[in-house]
Amino acid sequence: MTGFRSLPDRAGQRWRRIFLVLGAVVLVYALAAPLTSLDAAQSAGLPLLADKLWFRIATIIAMFVVMASAWNIIGGLTGYAAFGNVAFFGIGAYTCGMLVARAHWPLFLALTVAPAAAAAFAALIGVPLLRLRGHYFAVASLGVSVAVGEVIQNLEMGSKPVFGGASGLFLPIFRSDYRDLLFFYLMVAAGALTVGITWWVLRSRFGYGLIAIRENEEAASVMGVNTTAYKVAAFALSAALTGLAGGIFAQWNVFINQENVFPIEYNIQMILMALVGGAGTLFGPVAGAVALQLLIQFLSGSLPISADLPFVPADARPIVAQVILGLLLVVTVVFVPRGVIDFFGGQSRFSLSFLRRSLRETSV
Amino acid sequence: MGNFAQLVILGLLAGGVYVAVGVGFGLVWGVLNIVNLAHGALVIVGGYITWQLFTAYHLDPFLTLPIDAVILFALGYVIQRGVINRVIRAPLLFTFLLTFGINLIVINVLLLIFKSDFRSVTPSYSGSGIEIGPLVIPYTRLAALAVALLLAAGLAFLLNRTRTGLAIQAVGADRDAAQLVGIDLRHTYALTFAIGAACAGVAGGLISLIQAITPTAGEPYTLQAFVVVILGGLGRVSATVLGGLLFGLIEVFAQSIPGSGSVYANAIAFGLLVLVLVVRPQGLIGRLR
Repeated sequence: MTGFRSLPDRAGQRWRRIFLVLGAVVLVYALAAPLTSLDAAQSAGLPLLADKLWFRIATIIAMFVVMASAWNIIGGLTGYAAFGNVAFFGIGAYTCGMLVARAHWPLFLALTVAPAAAAAFAALIGVPLLRLRGHYFAVASLGVSVAVGEVIQNLEMGSKPVFGGASGLFLPIFRSDYRDLLFFYLMVAAGALTVGITWWVLRSRFGYGLIAIRENEEAASVMGVNTTAYKVAAFALSAALTGLAGGIFAQWNVFINQENVFPIEYNIQMILMALVGGAGTLFGPVAGAVALQLLIQFLSGSLPISADLPFVPADARPIVAQVILGLLLVVTVVFVPRGVIDFFGGQSRFSLSFLRRSLRETSV
Repeated sequence: MGNFAQLVILGLLAGGVYVAVGVGFGLVWGVLNIVNLAHGALVIVGGYITWQLFTAYHLDPFLTLPIDAVILFALGYVIQRGVINRVIRAPLLFTFLLTFGINLIVINVLLLIFKSDFRSVTPSYSGSGIEIGPLVIPYTRLAALAVALLLAAGLAFLLNRTRTGLAIQAVGADRDAAQLVGIDLRHTYALTFAIGAACAGVAGGLISLIQAITPTAGEPYTLQAFVVVILGGLGRVSATVLGGLLFGLIEVFAQSIPGSGSVYANAIAFGLLVLVLVVRPQGLIGRLR
């Protein structure tokens, strides 16, 4: 994960400014539109800009913003290819679920414990795992996420499942007139928190230490960075934020089981989002999460604007969507290996010469 | 004690499949430094070729294995030469994601062609086997173990005794030095991946004899190939054979634990994996690299 920075030239700066303004406009609209579903707004005669479907998609997008940005702290900044962050999502979800459903805690108290549990688990496994590098760390973290999901589903005590077993865990429905609105803003707040923390990390001594580890771990250690402590802290921070998203998801979705809070494909999706957007940058993972999640929803036909794909019968559509996603993955990796943010913001990345240089650098 | 011997036999038979799946995966990982997430999908492609030839032309499944190998060799060569070679020097996450994308494409194309129905290959002799005391060893599983070991032996011979094999090892050891002595990198990389894919094809043919296959049936095998290769150690065919047989034994013994041993198959496999990685990262008899 080296050499991802480049200073933008003037054309690049103009593009960057245009995209920032566009992004801000879209963001303001996305954040304000749900308010039109309030009774007060409706009685004032405002048009309804957000329906149930919109809330669902927007909340999922915000959830992936949290996950991709949180992954960015360990994967993008520290350079450790964590492939098992979904474990922390699941642990956060189950912690919140157990506290709310079994111990009858209020939601917001449970939401403070969920990240702590995920972070504690990350610190625990991080000490041995973060001694591994490269593929070994990636595979080991992937293994942990598979194993944790299996243990949570199957753990029994006195032949009674501890965490609800294979039938999953039901949470009491959160009573509020504006449930959809509440969970949307909760997830957006988690996203803002994640971006805020990343912003702080990027400017702190801690963040410089992480980047030093990414660029050259031995050199960082020689310079006096306590590499073990830094890596474990970054892993735990990433886990805490992912766990927070999991906790919110648990109460929002009301029902959790191994399949919906430990899906292996989330591991891949959050990494892909961060990489497409630009790993190691502040807004890259955010842009990647929004763009890719919209695309995934569009391809699977969940968006209201979805058009029919040509030559594709309706029943084969989800499968074709997956093929397109795979092709996109391949094309992205081969042609834009530095992420889209860099693509738009750096030196003129639209040029053929850039593409050729990038391919020359990575190919044999 | 009879029970113990029974478990050992079952474990070694289960290990045969893991050897077949592991050798190709280990070769690609060791030489190209690529963890091929599409390996399981390629395995299942081999399974479907065997199934297709068996159901449509009534070919004996074991005779289809060379056909699996040839078709997947060609597919692997094209994938590496056309796509993966272009990002082989990028950070490891990119090849990870790239092979995951290929995995997604292969699985879903299989879904489009074969649907998600379970398919099984059942030749006339699939039910019969050797009886040793209370235990019946199916001929197919025994033959699968033999084929897997032959495959590993053939691969070891190719790598250590032929010019091509030595070129592959040279590229794996030092890319630039290999290029300096005149080895064609692009071709050798493509060849390595193609051989790995061919091994996956043979493994798939064997698997179709042992279990019913679906397009997604290969995913567990990708993960298990990781464990097998790490268990034995990277960089040697013999290490993968050891790792595969050992993994089969561990799996069978873990499942025989009374109570809930069987539901923790993945947890046990990965617990073991993490343990090996932390305590002995070079594997049991591998070379540290």
